[in-house]
Amino acid sequence: MTELSKIRNFSIIAHIDHGKSTLADRLLESCNAIDQRIRAEQLLDSMELERERGITIKATAVTLHYTADDGETYALNLIDTPGHVDFNYEVSRSLAACEGAVLVVDASQGVEAQTLANTYLAIDAGLEVLPVINKIDLPSARPAEVKAEVEDIIGIPAEDAPEISAKNGINIHSVLEMIVKDVPAPTGDREAPLQALIFDSQYDSYRGVIVYTRIKQGTVKPGMDIKMMATGAVYKVVEVGTMTPTGLCPLDELGAGEVGYITASIKTVADTQVGDTITTVENPASEPLPGYRAVQPMVFSGVYPADGAKYQDLRDALEKLKLNDASMSYEMESSIALGFGFRCGFLGLLHMEIIQERLEREYNLDLITTAPNVVYRVTKTNGEVMMVYTPLDYPDPMEIQLAEEPYAKVNLIAPQEYVGNIMDLCQQRRGEFKDMVYLDASRVELHYEMPLNEIIYDFFDALKSRTRGYGSLDYELIGYRPSKLVKLDILLNGDIVDALSFILFADNAYPRARKICEKLKENIPRAQFEIPVQAAIGGKIIARETIKALRKDVLAKCYGGDITRKKKLLEKQKEGKKRMRTFGTVSVPSEAFMAVLKLDED
Amino acid sequence: MPILTKRPNKRPLGLYIHVPFCRSKCQYCDFYSTCTKEDKLIDGYLDAVCDHIKEAGELAPNYKVDTVYFGGGTPSYFGADGLAVIMTTIRRNFDVDNNAEITFEANPDSVSDRLLHRLRAEGFNRVSLGVQSDDDEMLKKLGRPHTYAQAVAAYHKIRKAGFRNISIDLMYGLPGQDLQDWQETLDNVLRLNPEHISCYALKIEEGTPFAQCKDILNLPDDETQADMYLAAVETLRGRGFRQYEISNFCRKGLVSKHNMKYWTGGEYLGFGPSASSDFAGKRYTLKRDLQAYIAGIREGGDIMEDIQEIPLRERAGEYLMLRLRTNVGIDAQEYEKMFLLPFAPLEDVLEQRRRFFHATQTDTGRWVLTPKGYLVSNDIITDLLLAQDGSSPLKRI
Repeated sequence: MTELSKIRNFSIIAHIDHGKSTLADRLLESCNAIDQRIRAEQLLDSMELERERGITIKATAVTLHYTADDGETYALNLIDTPGHVDFNYEVSRSLAACEGAVLVVDASQGVEAQTLANTYLAIDAGLEVLPVINKIDLPSARPAEVKAEVEDIIGIPAEDAPEISAKNGINIHSVLEMIVKDVPAPTGDREAPLQALIFDSQYDSYRGVIVYTRIKQGTVKPGMDIKMMATGAVYKVVEVGTMTPTGLCPLDELGAGEVGYITASIKTVADTQVGDTITTVENPASEPLPGYRAVQPMVFSGVYPADGAKYQDLRDALEKLKLNDASMSYEMESSIALGFGFRCGFLGLLHMEIIQERLEREYNLDLITTAPNVVYRVTKTNGEVMMVYTPLDYPDPMEIQLAEEPYAKVNLIAPQEYVGNIMDLCQQRRGEFKDMVYLDASRVELHYEMPLNEIIYDFFDALKSRTRGYGSLDYELIGYRPSKLVKLDILLNGDIVDALSFILFADNAYPRARKICEKLKENIPRAQFEIPVQAAIGGKIIARETIKALRKDVLAKCYGGDITRKKKLLEKQKEGKKRMRTFGTVSVPSEAFMAVLKLDED
Repeated sequence: MPILTKRPNKRPLGLYIHVPFCRSKCQYCDFYSTCTKEDKLIDGYLDAVCDHIKEAGELAPNYKVDTVYFGGGTPSYFGADGLAVIMTTIRRNFDVDNNAEITFEANPDSVSDRLLHRLRAEGFNRVSLGVQSDDDEMLKKLGRPHTYAQAVAAYHKIRKAGFRNISIDLMYGLPGQDLQDWQETLDNVLRLNPEHISCYALKIEEGTPFAQCKDILNLPDDETQADMYLAAVETLRGRGFRQYEISNFCRKGLVSKHNMKYWTGGEYLGFGPSASSDFAGKRYTLKRDLQAYIAGIREGGDIMEDIQEIPLRERAGEYLMLRLRTNVGIDAQEYEKMFLLPFAPLEDVLEQRRRFFHATQTDTGRWVLTPKGYLVSNDIITDLLLAQDGSSPLKRI
């Protein structure tokens, strides 16, 4: 076991694209942890999707051995955190495994919404926050101003913050020295009852679940019987060790202050919830570590195979994904329109998109996704309180005494010239203005309280477009509030297509209904007959469009040289038809579902 | 009883000669042609085509040529001498039927008495005249190098030269055109009393000048175009024309025999750059490049752009796609015999279309599309192709 004084546990926090993963790579390189031959960009983001999107989805950890200027060798445990608002809880648990956080701030962009949000999380977790000014090689870099910003806005000293370029490897040494000098060594009693914090876990088909943990108190060794304090699951430890950039490195034991992994033939990540505390069966800790929260999906959406016959494939794929992602939930659902599928729960829209993309890419599935919705709380006239996860379950208006929807606290940061635009946007989205703070001469932070539902519909995109990409956003759930809600049904040729129904704020129903009808009209191909597209609330039609009958779809000319070309054209048209779902008499392409999800507000 | 009464019949064959020369390029046209005046290219083309015909003739001893079609480009602009040389070469290297249909395409600005008499003497018996519109402003917009008066004059010259089978090409759905304009065009052209009329909807093809300025062309919408189409069908039928293909109408049974080969699975060989062939089970297209064609023929290089052997299953799709363009239509027994696939799934689609007056059956039970059906034929054909995809081969007929 490494002496406590020679251990440093830290993470790197940053706004998206400020260079977190690049810095992590440079730290690994500086400690000779990466074999140059196998070096891929951004080693810690190991998922293909993570690298493509430039975001970290899952937390990872790695132990580096660094010989400092004082001649001592330290074990530096770097815990990489996810970088998106959807994963705030995961971030908070990763931070709870550390004593310090390196705060990366872009030398030209300065402090952004997520910089702040993550810093507050780190400060709340009691961490020493050490700012680093990155990308000083950029012509637009303004390190002195950015340092002042960090001091003014965040209120932490930044005078001595290293000015670095992770990309070009400038000044990486000073970051390592700062970590050794300024991150407090962990404390803990290695003889005490075991308290190990789970900050992530990953399913491996050979070893079962690999639990990433920070030992807070006590010691864990192979052969011990351990218990997850929240889920109650009991297992016998098979192996413990540390993570190195090239793989797992087994050890005899892990003691307080150390970061490492435990395997115990665990079958599912559901038993190893992030934030849970591991203790021993023989000598259990009297209480778990603070901060555990069961993960709650916030956004739900119906996921159906585009080809109904692929239902079983979708089920298998979800089962496999779930092994590795405890924050996703799925439950069988059936829709009259789409047949069998699943109601899936996600942490947020990004999480939803990632899961969809992984299903389509890694499992080669073609999906139809219904409009995402939040969880509504409905008190019925008979006193029964129900949580509504899908519009299919929304009770008849006559049975509803009180309908409530979840609200979130939203922090927005943008240059001040966009304040008007942001206020307009938030007002449209039913935001309640709380206050506004000038971060510096040119940037403003606005606080709103807003229905979560308004945030999940392209709010982030709308914000970006109204602030020319400069606006940033962070939100946090604050509870349920009464609301005027209605369920909007869509009828095609007179029949309700249940998969297109959704719940929304009553005052938004008319404009949204009109828009949806327009979008469907654009996306549903003309048929032999006229198709009315209607939107209705409780049987009352509030919007209508008509898809005219197809009158002209013909290749006027077709001679010798055209045949091959026109055959291809018809073949393509035929393939398009294959991808359509037939509802009663109307064929709807899966793009129509997507179009309904993305209602451009402009 | 004699065992052999006669030699087995030769198989019929169509020949297409692509003549890639024009006075000027029309704004909408994406056929391969050039406005070059270089003798090297023009003579080179003539030599290459003739050499190509000689080569091909050797490969087709068991065929009898019953149609020859000179298209372009503008064959009439290329001139009578060249066309005559090619036709002579064809006769020397292929067995050309005495009653073969021999067509050339002509533009009003390049029709002369000399040309007509020369070609008439060479056995040409059908002319396809590109008139397109009766409105000089429109002709200008389209980039046509002639007026309507020239077209009328050319038509009379052709008739006077002794051609008894004249086709006129017209276009509708033109920039700024309305239903009445189109109706007038039809009425004017009908006064000439041609044997055959083709009516094509203007299609904006990629890479043409029109594609560049598509949005400011003020093209009639799909509804209007559909009305124009049905107006043409109605008008021509009233004047004794039979619609035998989506865009083609004829009197006295004078269908374009050559073009019918394209739609009924006949065999044809193409010569000249960009020409296509369907011969001995293979479909192929030559490169769209005059110089490459000349060089390829001269030096024995590659002149193919694309060659494909079409499997039977795919031929079954072509059968639907092509025959349903015509009034020949498709037939259950014929289909099942040719492709060993069940007709029933197709019949379901057709029955459903019958309810919308898109399809109907002839006295002999063959399925054909109605004019309304022709208008949405892509939609119908893709439905049929889908039904065909899902069907498995018949165990027995």
